[in-house]
Order: sequence, then C-alpha cells, then structure tokens
Amino acid sequence: MIDESVSQQPEVSELPVILADNVRFSYMHPETGAVEALSGVSLMMQRGKHVALLGRNGSGKSTMAKMINVLELPQSGQVLVLGMNTLSEHDFWEIRRSCGMVFQNPDNQIVGTTVEEDVAFGPENLGVPTAEIRKRVDESLSYVGMMSLAKRQPSQLSGGQKQKLAIAGVLAMAPQILLLDESTSMLDPLSRDDFLAVVDRLIKDRKMSVLHITHDMSEACLADYIYVLDKGKVAMEGIPSRVFSQVKELRGLGLDVPVFADLAFEVASRLGLVIEQETLESRGTALAGIRNMLDKVHLDAGIHIPAAAVPDERITPQRTILEVSHLHHSYDKKGEPSLSDISFSVKEGEIFAVIGHSGSGKTTLITHLNGLLRPQEGEIRVFPHEGGDVLNTKKNSDVRQIRRVVGLLFQYPEYQLFEETVEKDIAFGPTKMGLPADEIKRRVRESLALVGLDESILQRSPFELSGGQKRRVAFAGVLSMDPDILVLDEPAAGLDPTGRREILGYAEKIKKLGKTIILVSHNMDEAARYADRILVLKNGMARALLTPAELFSNPEMLRDLELCAPETVICLNDLKADYPEINPCIFSPGDAADELIRAAHGIHTANAQEVPESLPGDAHD
Amino acid sequence: MLMIKDISIGRYYQGDSILHRLDPRVKIILCFFYMVTVFMMTTVPGLLATFAVVVFLCILSAIPVDTILKSVRPIVFLLLFIMLLNVLTTRTGHPLFTWWIVKITDEGVLRAGLMALRLFLLILSTSILLTLTTTPLLMADSLESLFGPLKKIRVPVHEMAMMMSIALRFIPTLVEETDKIMKAQASRGAEYDTGNVFMRARGYVSVLVPLFVSAFKRAEELAIAMDARCYRGGEGRTKLHVLHMNAKDYFWFSFLSCLCFALIFIDLFVKIS
Repeated sequence: MIDESVSQQPEVSELPVILADNVRFSYMHPETGAVEALSGVSLMMQRGKHVALLGRNGSGKSTMAKMINVLELPQSGQVLVLGMNTLSEHDFWEIRRSCGMVFQNPDNQIVGTTVEEDVAFGPENLGVPTAEIRKRVDESLSYVGMMSLAKRQPSQLSGGQKQKLAIAGVLAMAPQILLLDESTSMLDPLSRDDFLAVVDRLIKDRKMSVLHITHDMSEACLADYIYVLDKGKVAMEGIPSRVFSQVKELRGLGLDVPVFADLAFEVASRLGLVIEQETLESRGTALAGIRNMLDKVHLDAGIHIPAAAVPDERITPQRTILEVSHLHHSYDKKGEPSLSDISFSVKEGEIFAVIGHSGSGKTTLITHLNGLLRPQEGEIRVFPHEGGDVLNTKKNSDVRQIRRVVGLLFQYPEYQLFEETVEKDIAFGPTKMGLPADEIKRRVRESLALVGLDESILQRSPFELSGGQKRRVAFAGVLSMDPDILVLDEPAAGLDPTGRREILGYAEKIKKLGKTIILVSHNMDEAARYADRILVLKNGMARALLTPAELFSNPEMLRDLELCAPETVICLNDLKADYPEINPCIFSPGDAADELIRAAHGIHTANAQEVPESLPGDAHD
Repeated sequence: MLMIKDISIGRYYQGDSILHRLDPRVKIILCFFYMVTVFMMTTVPGLLATFAVVVFLCILSAIPVDTILKSVRPIVFLLLFIMLLNVLTTRTGHPLFTWWIVKITDEGVLRAGLMALRLFLLILSTSILLTLTTTPLLMADSLESLFGPLKKIRVPVHEMAMMMSIALRFIPTLVEETDKIMKAQASRGAEYDTGNVFMRARGYVSVLVPLFVSAFKRAEELAIAMDARCYRGGEGRTKLHVLHMNAKDYFWFSFLSCLCFALIFIDLFVKIS
C-alpha cells in the first residue's frame, strides 16, 4: 500500500511532516448506520510549524487527529506522516512514536500509578533500556518543570499538572510531531497559559511540529496556519488574519473571531470602511488599524454618531434572597482553611458571579449554598419570599426545603444523567419533590423549552445525545425543580463559542423570569458581560465584591488579585492614550465600538473648533 | 454526610526501614515460609518462638506498635469466635468446668489459645511483611515477576499485573467521581440516608448508572491513550523500575528462611522426644 513515489523522496526537509489527501471516514452507528465523520479532508503541515485545526463540537476534528496517529485508518484517501503512509503496517509503530498525542481529559490518559511511572510508560512500551528510560523520564519531567513531583500519585495533581504530565509522557518517546486534541479545554486560564507556554517552547527550541485542535479563538491566534473543519470538510484555511477576516463565515460555522478582531470589525462597519486583512494579525495590529479608522471620523459628516450609552442599566435589586455570614470551612483540621470568614448577600433577581482561580474555594463555597456541606462556622440563610420563612443550612435543619429553593448545577453536568429517557431524567427532581403527575409534565416541557430543546427529544435515551444536548438536558433537570436561586458552576465549560453563547443566553433568559443566578466562572469576559456583581475569591477569602465596571476599572486591584481584564477593556485601555475620554469598562465589542466612535468624534469636533495646545498622541503611525 | 475522602489503598505505612527496602519478592516468599512455619508448630514453646520472630520483624519494620495492632483489629471478633468454638467443642482432656451440656477442658482451652495465636501471627506477619511495608504497585510488579514463568503456559501474567496497576491508578479517580455524582444527584433531591429502603435504593441507582457509564467511557479513552503511546502488550517491554536482588536481600532471605526451617525442625524434635 505504500506510495513509492512519496516514501522514496530523498529530501525529508522538503517534505511536509503531515500530508492528508482527500481522507474519508465513516463511523458505524448502531441505529442510523454509517455516519460520515470525514468527507474528503486534505491538509498539510510543514516541519516546525504550529497549525490549528478549528471546528465546532462534532465537526470531525478529533477524528482527523486519530487518522494522523493511526488510531483510525482512512477508508479512502491517504495520510502521510513524515513520509510514511498510515496504511502501511510496517511503519505503524514508528508513526505513533513520532506523533505524540495529548488528549482532552487529563484523567483518562494517565496510566502510571506515580508521575514517573507514567512518563516511563511510553519508553517502556518501545523497549528502551532501563538506564535510558531513567534519563528520558528525568529529562522530560524537568522540561515541563515537574521534577519535584516525580513520586506523586496522579490523583494528587491539579488539572494543569496532569496535562503537563501528559506532555512529558509524550516527550519521553522523542516525537517530532505533537497532536493536541482539545488539550486545554478543561483547564483554567492560568494552567492553560502555563501549558501553552510549554508548547511554545517545544516549537521554538525543539522545532516540534504542533497540530492543535481547538475551538478557542485566542489559541487559534497563536498558530501559523489555520484549517477550519465543518461537517467533515475543510471549510476554510489560511493564515490566522485571513481566516479571521471572514467573520460572518466563521460565526456561521459556530466559531468566532478573537475579541480584538471583533472590535475592529464593529468599528469598521459603523464607519462604513473595509478592513485590511493584515490588521487582523494580532491585538497590536488590530489596535493600530482601529486608530487609523478613528482618524477618519471627522472627515465624513455622514457617520452616525451613537448616543452616549446609558450609564449602567443594570438596576441593583433590593431584596436579599441569600445571605452568607462568616462562613468558615476546612477539609482537614490542621491544614489551611478552604474558606475563611466569607460574608456576602445575594439580591433577588441579579446575576451574581463568583470568580477566582482553581483552589480559591469556589466549589467549596457553592456546595455550601444548598446544604451539601453544612457550615462548620458561620451560617447561610435563604429568604425565599418577602417576609416568609427563613431557611438555614445549619446542622440538623431540613435541607430538602433548601434544595427546592437553591438549584445547583455542577461543572460538566452531563454525567448526572441516568434515566432511560430524557423525560424521566428531567422529571427526577420534581418527582422527588412529590409533585402531581400533570404538574411534573408541565415543568418538564417548560424547562426543556427554556434550554432551547425540542420535545421530540423527550423519549430518547440521554446517552445517545450529543455533548451539547446532554449539557442542556442536565440544565433542564435542575430548572424543572423551579428553584428561586440557580447556582451554575462553569456552565459553558468545554463548549464551542456558539454553545457557550447559547448556554449563557439561557442564564440571561432565566434571570428575566425573576430568578436569581449565581454564576461561577473563570472567564473574565463572560463574567463581565453577564454579571451584575462579582465576588472575587482568593485562597479561600472573599477579596472583593464589586460591579464589573468597578472591578475592571481598577488595575491595581486586578493585579493584586491576579486577574486579567476582559479583552475589550484591555483594548479600550490601550486606545485611551489617544482618546482620553474613553470609558474603558465596556464589555461587548459592539458597545465598545460605539464608545470609540463617540470619543473620536468628540475630540475631532473639539479640534475643529479650537486649536488644542497639545495633540493627544500621534495617531498616524 | 456525603464525603468520601482520602481513602488509602491498602495500608501502606511510609517508611525507609530494612523491611521497606527489602525486595518485595523476598517478602512474599518469606511470608509464605512463615505461614507454613506457623501451621507446623504444635508445641507452645514452638509457637512462642515464632511469635518472637514476628516481634523481631516488627522491630525491623520501625512501624509504631499501635499502627501494627490496628491492622489486627478487624479480625478480633473472628478470633474470639474461633476460640469460643474450640473451647466448647473440644470434649477430650481434663474437665475444668462443667455446667449442663457445657464442658470446658484443659485441652480445649489450650487448643483455642493456640488456634487464636496462630491466626494472630498470620495476620501480623502479612501486615508487617506485605501490606504495611510494600506499596500495592510494587506488589503487582513482584507478582508479575514471581509468576513470570507461567507465561510459558500462556497464563496472561503481564496483562493481569497491568490490570491491577491500572485499577490502583483509577481507584482515587472513581472515588472522587462517586462523591461528585452523589452531590449532583442530592442537589436534585436524591436521598441516600433517609427515606424507606425503596427510596434509598433509588437514590443509589442514580449514582451507580452514571458511575458505570463514566467508567466505561474512561476505559475506552484510556485504551486509546495507551494505544497512542505504543502499548502492545508485555512482549518486548522494558521497565523503569526493575526489581533486582542485592546482597542485603540475599542475606535477609537466607537468614529468615533458615530461621523458619530451624524452628520447624526443633519443634518436630521436641515433639518426638
């Protein structure tokens, strides 16, 4: 099966490290028969390059990665890796050795009972002599900075450490290609940056070729070249700026553009200008492009100048619905407390965000809210109705009442589905509450509609649904209990941009029904955009409770809390040098564009009336 | 309430004593020899001598006495039951006490005592030699090595050891997951510790189904990850940690096994004479 003409090319350096030619592949599905996952994908990757493979959940991108690593074989077409055909049995192991793969779920790829055993797993399989294995293990572990953890058990590591361990495990096999299959999608922002820094070093110092499968647009910016897959086909390809310049098409494919590009588009469309592709290369070039466009504001009188934004239409509701006072918790008597002296109150009808890094105590805090954990010190009180009963989660109190009022949806809630049909699963909560059958039926349908699912899904098994559908069914399972307060722990984690927007959109819709939402997030852009107030946790302490505008307009505080500002704020702050009147605390690219145009217009009209003593910076660079 | 935290697999006691460092294969074989010795002992002085050997091992292991005794605690009830049974069923020997159909003889008491002492020694020796001083992973490794010759008659020794070590690797992960699922279902109103039997069983179904589904998914993903890292069974595989015997291992092996055999012979000799 080896294609002689290709495998005997003398100059390896000329050859692309990966060459896929018209690859087709179908899965067998027990009910619907063959499902085509790849319908003629061709792609190419040169040595030492960083190529991103984008696409929404279910677009076939993971299947493509498996093709390269010979975990699946093309049914037609061919894949050449370092000149070796994946269909050749002779080269099978050599291809797998030279293509290291890091998967999505950190837990499901660690084989060893200790860190060093796991790194050794690959070389052991290759039959590398013991002394050499030792050398490779030490080398790989120190490369990712985990030498001191060599004897640890995997269960003692954080998610970020587990993914770096996976990289070390791959490095010990001395590969030339690194395949990242959504490897960062389950990590928090700090661990993700840490992980990406390791990848970047591998490209720079070791000339590693990286194929990064992702649906995160900020990661796509790092690539040299992008392929976008949709329904098993390459829908778009090109250097990042070229791909980002097709914003409509990208959104149509369930993806998005990075925020800086979005902002540039919004400004351009308001000014009726066309964006040059080169300006979309990075944040820096985009900001320069925006400056150029804003300079033209005064030239054209026909531009619609948007009215000043309503200061902040988010009204602060009055009534307290949940109150936490002096909450203290430690898992282990001697160790550091996981929560210490936390006090805050949540108002009825607001979206209350809780942000903080991994290990800051977010999850411990929310498990207290519906009495899964009882306060060791302090108390939590819930006031479901004006002047009505007060519920308390202290020991010996009946938590069933509280769980009806406070609904809790944990991270990756798909795993909680267990019934034979979607209908029964959503009905689980209301049934437990002892509601009459017709009321249960009504609630199931209502909550299903709230998460945008069709009733035809009700009789299907939850296990045959797609990942995004499962997430929504789990969401509906909590909504059906009709809680007054809904606690959402990273509800959009791991979803593609469209999926994220949809899930958070449901949260807004539910808020409009008068419910209170407590949203745990580590995505600053989303917390800023959706929340009314933000509670920042750090090392188990409540460090700040502010509105997004107050929090993100305070750079010293952000630095102190080790938070980064939302992307729009970073862009606006940068442009503030030229347009000092800008209010940088705007979190949607559309509003930010309005603000920029307004500020530019203000300056230019002022300039026209009187010659200013000093021009605000040179904007003509 | 719903917390399952920090379970340790086995009862390994972190340490660096002579016994901790001894080759685990030596420990397994010595443990076997010791068990044989305990059962060959028929006289009281003989058993006391084997008891002294265990005390010696305890000292070698440098593990606090209360930790060691804790490992015997679960079988105290069984010990008492066996003693009682022996005392009550032995009819031979001098009667010490008779009441209605109960007849306690001196031989019965002796037998019960010896039996209990034997069991006690068995548990103590396996604890000290194996569970307390050897990690489960090393146990799996050394079993693979000891049973290695069985590969020739097609016993899948490597696969079994690999299964054991993967099971050990995933126990904490699955425990954590169980905890997570229990909390999620409790938030939806599932109850595990209140309500009637039916309600409780229903509560556990809501935990077990997702747990199994996820375990299968993990298994599938792990298999793919192992494939991607070139796993192809035990053939041609090398190891990071190779067990190998050094002079100390040979010394302790010969010293302790000789001791066991010597005890057996002395006991036999005492009995005959």
